[in-house]
Amino acid sequence: MAGLIAGLAALGLWELLSRAGTLNPLYFPPPTVVGITLVARATGGDLAPHAAATLARLSLAFGAAALVGVPLGLAMGMIRPLRLVLDPYIAALYPLPKIALLPLLMILLGVGEQAFVLAGSLTALFQIILNTYGGVTQIDPVLLEVGHNYGARGLALFRRILLPAALPSILTGLRLGLGLALITTIAVEFTAAKSGLGHLVFRAWQTLAAAEMFAALAVVGVIGLAITRGLLCLQRRLLAWQQTYEWD
Amino acid sequence: MLMRRALGWATPILSLVGLLAVWEWAVGARILRESFFPPPSGIWQQATMLYASGGLAGHVAATVARLVAAFLLAALPGVAVGLLTGLSATAREAFDPFVAFIYPIPSLLYLPLAALVLGPGELPAALVCAVTPFFVIALNTALGVRSIDRPTVEAAVHYGATGRRLFQKVLLPGALPYVLVGFRVGLGLTLIVLIAVEMVSAKQGLGALLWQSWEILRVRNMYVGLALIATLGVLVTSGFDAIARRLVPWHQGPARSTRRP
Repeated sequence: MAGLIAGLAALGLWELLSRAGTLNPLYFPPPTVVGITLVARATGGDLAPHAAATLARLSLAFGAAALVGVPLGLAMGMIRPLRLVLDPYIAALYPLPKIALLPLLMILLGVGEQAFVLAGSLTALFQIILNTYGGVTQIDPVLLEVGHNYGARGLALFRRILLPAALPSILTGLRLGLGLALITTIAVEFTAAKSGLGHLVFRAWQTLAAAEMFAALAVVGVIGLAITRGLLCLQRRLLAWQQTYEWD
Repeated sequence: MLMRRALGWATPILSLVGLLAVWEWAVGARILRESFFPPPSGIWQQATMLYASGGLAGHVAATVARLVAAFLLAALPGVAVGLLTGLSATAREAFDPFVAFIYPIPSLLYLPLAALVLGPGELPAALVCAVTPFFVIALNTALGVRSIDRPTVEAAVHYGATGRRLFQKVLLPGALPYVLVGFRVGLGLTLIVLIAVEMVSAKQGLGALLWQSWEILRVRNMYVGLALIATLGVLVTSGFDAIARRLVPWHQGPARSTRRP
């Protein structure tokens, strides 16, 4: 509640300062003007298609990363030779910002959606693999031994013990991966793509359309907030038995 | 056991060397197109050539300098705000709207605003790169402060620790593992945004090298840039882990848990 009041107060102050000219309205148009632009652009303009383009890229990138990353991470966690072989690549490529791969991807695949989506997808992929196989390798061995002694083998061991024990870490990986995929997707749009919210902000920069820029920023903010807060809530509900306090 | 450990050592190295060898061979055998996948030896040659001609060191230096500047811009206020919001509920409530409004937006999108308001130069780039890590560090630090056992703080106060001594002897060491997690995650995020910023708006730096190579289709230069950025990333994270192990050897918790297993 106090946060809401503080937020509204900040917006009110911004409105006043911008109207009074203390804040240059060319760069910081009053929030009411931004709001009007937002509504006009969302209903009649191109804001909705750009937002749809960003969301489509993000879901494709994240979906592909999750489909590949979780099984691969589980396999790496369970099969030691596979882990040893793949580990150096993960270690070398995980800290590499995947946006750096974009120019190369555009040469290999052409300037188009494949390259754009793949850059976002790779960002999420490494995070998901890492958290998934970390989740498996960090399982308390006692749990596995108990399961083993009670006769859990193969699929039963996997479904009853391995998967639930690794689940918190897997979900954290998915959540962080989605957040990172958003960052890379926006960066791809800002630098290379000709559509999407990232491109909209870039275009507003080039044309000095500040109200349009803030409108696009607001939409990105809502998407970002939905991802960070929404998934955290989801994770807490799915893992009611676990107390997670993670912010990173 | 010894055999197993030797395998654990040798396999990753063999795996890397093997891939490079196969890559080199596949280019020679014309299975991989050299124009898209230049052989590792060719990339190495190109790197030494770029270095000798004087351009490469400047790109690396520019990126490293920006990374350090942006990280400091994020870390110093981040820890301060984190300690404050961790200690006081009022401060936390005042900080919350900023977290809700500013933090969820990928900070690259603040570049236009920063560039318009602050004009050309290095400051807007460094500032933009510092936004997200600032929040990550502040939030983790606050979490660290709140994770400190209440009786510990009360005991310290009871024995006369106040102000600076309370901060130095109790709050900072108690929160340190979390602060370090914030630093580590924050550094990674700084690097992402920095490379993107350099791609769009810098003349110098590894991101700029990549973008310029793309514009004139110099694939080899691109691989050189990628290899250097990857090396930088590995050095930053592994170096950071080494520091973290020295600083908080007693702590097995979160400073370790986000480390690679």
